[in-house]
Amino acid sequence: MTNRRSTSLGVKIPHYVVLTVIGALSLFPMYFMAVTGLKNGIQLEQNPFSLAINRPFGIFYQQAWDYIDGDLLRTGLITAASVLGITVLGMMSAYAFARIEFLGTGLLFYLIFGLLLIPSFLTLIPLFLEVRSIGLINNPLALILPYIAGGQAFAVFVFRSNIQAIPEELFEAARVDGASHLRMLLHIATPLSRPIMIAVGLLNVTAIWGDYVFPSLVLPVSRQTAAMAVGNFQPPPSVPDINVVNLQFAAYTIISVPIILLFIFFIRYFIAGLATGAVKM
Amino acid sequence: MSITSANPLTLDDEARREQRRLASRRKKRSIDLKGWAFLAPTFIFVGVFCYWPAVRALEGAFTSWDGVSAPKWVGLHNFDQLLHDTVFLQSFLHLLWWSLFGIPVGMGASLLVALLIYRLDSKRAQYWFRVAFSLTLCLPGIVGILTWSNFYEIGGVIDDLLGYVGLGRFGTAWLANPHTALGALIFMGFPFVGAFAMLVFYAGLQSIPGEILDAAAVDGVSSLRRVWHVELPLIKGQLKVILILTIISITQNLLPPLLLTQGGPANESFVPVLYMYENAFQYAQMGYALSIAFVLFVASLVLALVTMRYLRTDAETRKKVA
Repeated sequence: MTNRRSTSLGVKIPHYVVLTVIGALSLFPMYFMAVTGLKNGIQLEQNPFSLAINRPFGIFYQQAWDYIDGDLLRTGLITAASVLGITVLGMMSAYAFARIEFLGTGLLFYLIFGLLLIPSFLTLIPLFLEVRSIGLINNPLALILPYIAGGQAFAVFVFRSNIQAIPEELFEAARVDGASHLRMLLHIATPLSRPIMIAVGLLNVTAIWGDYVFPSLVLPVSRQTAAMAVGNFQPPPSVPDINVVNLQFAAYTIISVPIILLFIFFIRYFIAGLATGAVKM
Repeated sequence: MSITSANPLTLDDEARREQRRLASRRKKRSIDLKGWAFLAPTFIFVGVFCYWPAVRALEGAFTSWDGVSAPKWVGLHNFDQLLHDTVFLQSFLHLLWWSLFGIPVGMGASLLVALLIYRLDSKRAQYWFRVAFSLTLCLPGIVGILTWSNFYEIGGVIDDLLGYVGLGRFGTAWLANPHTALGALIFMGFPFVGAFAMLVFYAGLQSIPGEILDAAAVDGVSSLRRVWHVELPLIKGQLKVILILTIISITQNLLPPLLLTQGGPANESFVPVLYMYENAFQYAQMGYALSIAFVLFVASLVLALVTMRYLRTDAETRKKVA
């Protein structure tokens, strides 16, 4: 114990209080979303913060599920395929940059890294026109392929730092045993990069799962993603006007739940992955 | 190939070393191809879906183009038009305000939380606070935006809170009022802690060697001075990445104005990226839209390059000196 760690109670308690308040404010929209789906419009008007419950319990969740369930699987498949592609391709390239000496390493790395500086708005219009001209409109591939490409810059950048930090001796030992680069990628680099792969994967999952602009340009409403469904919400006529908001929030909650579950399941790796300090210049 | 036929046992040390050197050089040349093979899939993807569209965007900025028929080269005409387009100039000013507020406040809030968590004694508490803030990432972007739009409605959460503190008379339809629309968009996301930035800063703080902090403690450095003179310089690498990502994310922040205000009322909440979007997909003015993208891209690139140049990390400075 050094003296920098022996903070007094007078310093400690304000730290906890400030963190708790900021944390609660940051998480408030989530709480609001979930409880608004449980109450009706009148209860919401009376007190937007309360935990009132509309009867029958969960009716809006039921209706929202009927509205959105068809889109969830489609969105899930698009997200999963994209994140898998980002991770596999990203690891291959990161391994090559970190471990293989070849002509043009520096230049090629900057070609990838430089993509971080190309904002999505610059490519949005030509990408849309390109996807249309190769006939991918209305096809989920119109999303998956650009997502895989768009995820490379960040994934390669972070994975590379992580692989570079793996002790040289591990690779040396494998090389003496005659392991190929592919084997070293699969059996050394990949297992030791699991936390950062999960962290980058989760960040991509949230970005792709909630993406609205590009999907709404390339997919028809009949094959929309979950984010499109809540963005262009059309309430069923059977729901009275005053309760439409509650139905909407129930739908927001439903499309957030898969992400929340993923985070709860992987949070340990996510925190560990971002604690490795691979994200810096 | 004659070297390999010689019996290595009869070679003296010098020759053997020479042979090994040659072998390794041969190996290096052959792995050239292997390196490229690992990179090929990535480069095919980014070539087709990132670089090609980017090149098309840059050349499209100099054309008149409806997106269907062939683009017509018009030189600098689009840029000339932009200079006289009041909606565009106004939208650029809005982006400036947004950045002046959003960059320091967003980064500051994330840094503050990272520092506070890092200063906690208990590792357990540190972990659980990081978990709590990470959970904010679970809310899909569009859901967060739609939730905030509900907060801003007449009689919504914001108005209620104002009512509680006796300021109810200031309540308004925040997003529909020309005086408040832009401010409401900028204020969205309060308290502005970016969980990703916070975790990156925390990781940086965590990697500061204990000896440095002990030395600072022995010298009796106050807490605030320690942040400014010891900790911040040592996480420059993290600050730089997050600053660049923040600049880019504010510049390309299309969704809030697109969903909530469409630039209105009275163009008071237009930002350049929304104006680009509307020109492209409402008015089929692809060429003009791309010239907006061009200007925005150059502006954010210059900012990012300036950042990289002036926030030099120690490792880079050393490299430069050597």
